[in-house]
Amino acid sequence: MTATSKTSILILDDEPIVSKRLQPALEKKGYEVESFYESARAMARIRERTFDIVVTDLKMEGIDGMQFLAEVKKLSPRTEVIVITGFATMDTAKESMRKGVFDFLAKPFKLGEIQEVIRKAEEHIRLGE
Amino acid sequence: MFGLFEHIRTRLLRRRRRERVSLAALFRQFQQVLELNNRILTAIASMHDKLGGDYIFDVQYLRTSKQFIVDTVRELIDAFDAMAPGRYPGLYAIFRDIRHKLESEMERRPVLPDVMAMAFADIRLKDMDAAGAKSTRLALIAEASAGAVPPGFAVTTSAYRLFMELNDIEDEIVRLERAWRDGAMTVQEASGKIRSRILAGSIPPRVRRAMARELETLRRGAGEGTLRLAVRSSAWGEDGDLSFAGQYESFLNVRPEDLHDAYRKVLASTYCPAAMEYRREYDFKPDEVFMAVSVQAMVEARTSGVVYSLSPVRLGESGIEIAAAWGLGAPVVSGEAPADRFLVSREPGHGLLMETVAHKATALRPGPEGSVVTEEVEASLCDQPSLSPGQIRLLADTAIRLEQYFKKPQDMEFAFSPEGALIVLQSRPLRMEVCDDPHSPDLSDVLKGYPVLLSGEGDVAQQGVASGPVFVAWEGRDLEEFPVGAILVAHLSSPQYAAVLPKASGVITDIGSPLGHMATIAREYRVPALLNVSRATLVLKEGDVVTLDAEQKTVYQGLVRELRMHDYLCDHMEETYEYRLLRRMLKLIEPLYLVDPEENNFTPQGCRTMHDIARFIHEKAVEILTEIPTSSGASEACPGGRLELPVPLDLVVLDIGGGLDESCAGDGGRPGHRRTIRTDQVRSETLRAFIAGVTSEGVWQSQPVPVDFSSFMSSMTRTFSADSAGVNRMGQNLAVVSDRYLHLSLKLGYHFTLIDCYKSEDDSRNSVQFRFAGGVTGAVRRSRRARFLAEVLNGFDFSVTVKDDLVVARAKGWMARDLGRLMRILGLLVAYTRQLDVSMVSDSVIYEHCQEFEHIAEEAVGN
Repeated sequence: MTATSKTSILILDDEPIVSKRLQPALEKKGYEVESFYESARAMARIRERTFDIVVTDLKMEGIDGMQFLAEVKKLSPRTEVIVITGFATMDTAKESMRKGVFDFLAKPFKLGEIQEVIRKAEEHIRLGE
Repeated sequence: MFGLFEHIRTRLLRRRRRERVSLAALFRQFQQVLELNNRILTAIASMHDKLGGDYIFDVQYLRTSKQFIVDTVRELIDAFDAMAPGRYPGLYAIFRDIRHKLESEMERRPVLPDVMAMAFADIRLKDMDAAGAKSTRLALIAEASAGAVPPGFAVTTSAYRLFMELNDIEDEIVRLERAWRDGAMTVQEASGKIRSRILAGSIPPRVRRAMARELETLRRGAGEGTLRLAVRSSAWGEDGDLSFAGQYESFLNVRPEDLHDAYRKVLASTYCPAAMEYRREYDFKPDEVFMAVSVQAMVEARTSGVVYSLSPVRLGESGIEIAAAWGLGAPVVSGEAPADRFLVSREPGHGLLMETVAHKATALRPGPEGSVVTEEVEASLCDQPSLSPGQIRLLADTAIRLEQYFKKPQDMEFAFSPEGALIVLQSRPLRMEVCDDPHSPDLSDVLKGYPVLLSGEGDVAQQGVASGPVFVAWEGRDLEEFPVGAILVAHLSSPQYAAVLPKASGVITDIGSPLGHMATIAREYRVPALLNVSRATLVLKEGDVVTLDAEQKTVYQGLVRELRMHDYLCDHMEETYEYRLLRRMLKLIEPLYLVDPEENNFTPQGCRTMHDIARFIHEKAVEILTEIPTSSGASEACPGGRLELPVPLDLVVLDIGGGLDESCAGDGGRPGHRRTIRTDQVRSETLRAFIAGVTSEGVWQSQPVPVDFSSFMSSMTRTFSADSAGVNRMGQNLAVVSDRYLHLSLKLGYHFTLIDCYKSEDDSRNSVQFRFAGGVTGAVRRSRRARFLAEVLNGFDFSVTVKDDLVVARAKGWMARDLGRLMRILGLLVAYTRQLDVSMVSDSVIYEHCQEFEHIAEEAVGN
């Protein structure tokens, strides 16, 4: 089955534009992608299944991204988390690195940049296996 | 009497002393102005960069960028005000005005232009906010000669707003919508109440007058025939009528005297229950609704119908689908009456794949007194196809052309006149639902089957997918032969390719920047463009068909149909709210309306964008500095003096920091006596380069050029104030220089040259601006010289605008990375053109001079 051999990615950002742009671009690259705008729904989803990679914002209206990524790591320590956040919240992002975040990107970022980070995360997962 | 003199004298003396003290401060402030100006231009460029498609950005980013620009411009005004306290109080007012508009945009209250009606012929893409989507697209189709459209005009979104304001309907709408959303009222009740308020409203006099004016033009165009109108909605926002497809009302065969009623009815349909439900679903705000109305001359239709350029029902077969019937098109559009159906191939030639001829017993036709009536169709025609094979091909051709022009499959309404002419009545993006077909292979797997020619390199200037034959623009190739739909492959991205971009389906260059002029034009026409690929001209071969996926920076061999289809089905970035907001914000930030300092609009009040404010301040700040050489304290306040040169260019250099050797500082001599500076004391690289150019051997004409009689006469009759660039303040040739900045004001041979040059830290944000105007001869010769300059500067990758004899040339970013070379060339050019207009006796001389200059430049700097 091709579906299971694909690298799975969950994207969480409260601004829909981010996943609206990311999802089709990543799917074109052969990833399996699910997008969420609300952390509660994303949270429910990660309890249902594991993802290879999680891409999440930190500073969202009414949502604590930190809490979300902590939960991701608790449920599935092998999931690589990539944090995307505005320049202003970069310090928080760096702090989050201590919680086992794979990498972080300041918004706005180039599509090529995040694809590269995702590729590295994928490689990291493969080496860990 | 004596006392008064004494008083004035002491006042003056005191002032002079103060001036002396403040000159040092003035230079510091000037540097601050430069620094802030540069910061603003960089921020604008960075925002503009986000239009390209390489970046993923959100509203948070837009908010932060807006704030940064607003704060920095405010700081710039303050810094400038410190240089010239209270001289331009209008700057603050205009700044507040633009800031307010920006904030309105952020809060989804768009800034609409103050115009009530616009003829289709005057509508451009930028007028989308005013004219609405439908009218704007029709106007664009006509402008691009992609199809014939009916004459008509748009009653603008501003007219709608004025109507609502004047009739006091807005508050009522808010109240009724709230009642409905709270459940106190059904949507039918709320909608009915709002609509009856609108139908009872009176049309504001300004709107009436504008309508009457445009109607008169239509009437004149209609000639002998009776004018009847089609009145349709043309909602605000690029996808305005896409999202609301079919929910707003249209009225056909309207008599001019009934236009006001039809107008009100279309406005009222903005609040039909379906549209209200839709807006609630998608979280529109009540004050985010603006309805423009499209008024077209009615087309007498023998046959009408609809074309889908890409059949949504038969995606896999990817054909063009046509539905048509006799008479007017409404029954076909709504699907109420049987229509003939044709499926034709999308490939050139458009072979017929399927045909179903319906029994068409009735047709909708214009009736008496502005009505439409359903009539019986003549028995012999009921079962005849309503379109001929030739008409089907023409429709297919037109639909594909519109699809290419708008970069999306189109849903087009058409009519054929009794004479057989095709008229496009409307064209909008085709709505396509993506259905997950479990049997269709994954796109990523499909793509693996295509050979990849280039991958992973380059900068995206405009994203999208393009396929077509490669056209390699090698040195000296005639661009006239560029075929429609080809992919332009070039070594350098240069403004000279601007002319072929509307014809190109894609662009790939070895070298180039997404901030350059060509990238901007590629975005304007939404031509997918990948620049800086480094090996494009080596790998891609003339005539080979390739597919460019700019988003993934990949070029495939052959035509990758699946990728095109995927691109069609995806939401394009240009259609997202964030992208449109960025565009609208940039309208208030980026365009430069103040170009010529001698124009009447070169005032604080003339500033329409943040860029204008920065430009105005920069110009005026330099002006303040150029007044200094005549002021007594200059030499004490900063290092500087007269430059020793082998050519008679009387140039005074003022160093505002790091532009001259330290040995030039200190008290260089007696008061009032200017010290002399040797060229080896110049530290500014750009000034050195300019000097090298201007003193190149053999270029500076030392012999006076003989002035013929007509030149002499025109020099007698032309007054200097009619020349441009402020002759009054240009008695002295002046260079203001720092380690990064160089400004030159030169008056040579009766013309004026201004050069502004900025060197950034890593050369990636360098910029040069060159302005040239004036001269001793008549207008024709001066304009020949302007053409010569434009030609030469274009050849060195400047982007050039010419207005009469004013030439403005700019180079920035990548094009200006080698500032030294550009400044040497400008130096050469200044020397060469000193008295050039005198010898510009015929057009052919332009070419000769271009050749000669090219030769000189090659000798001096290489090419």
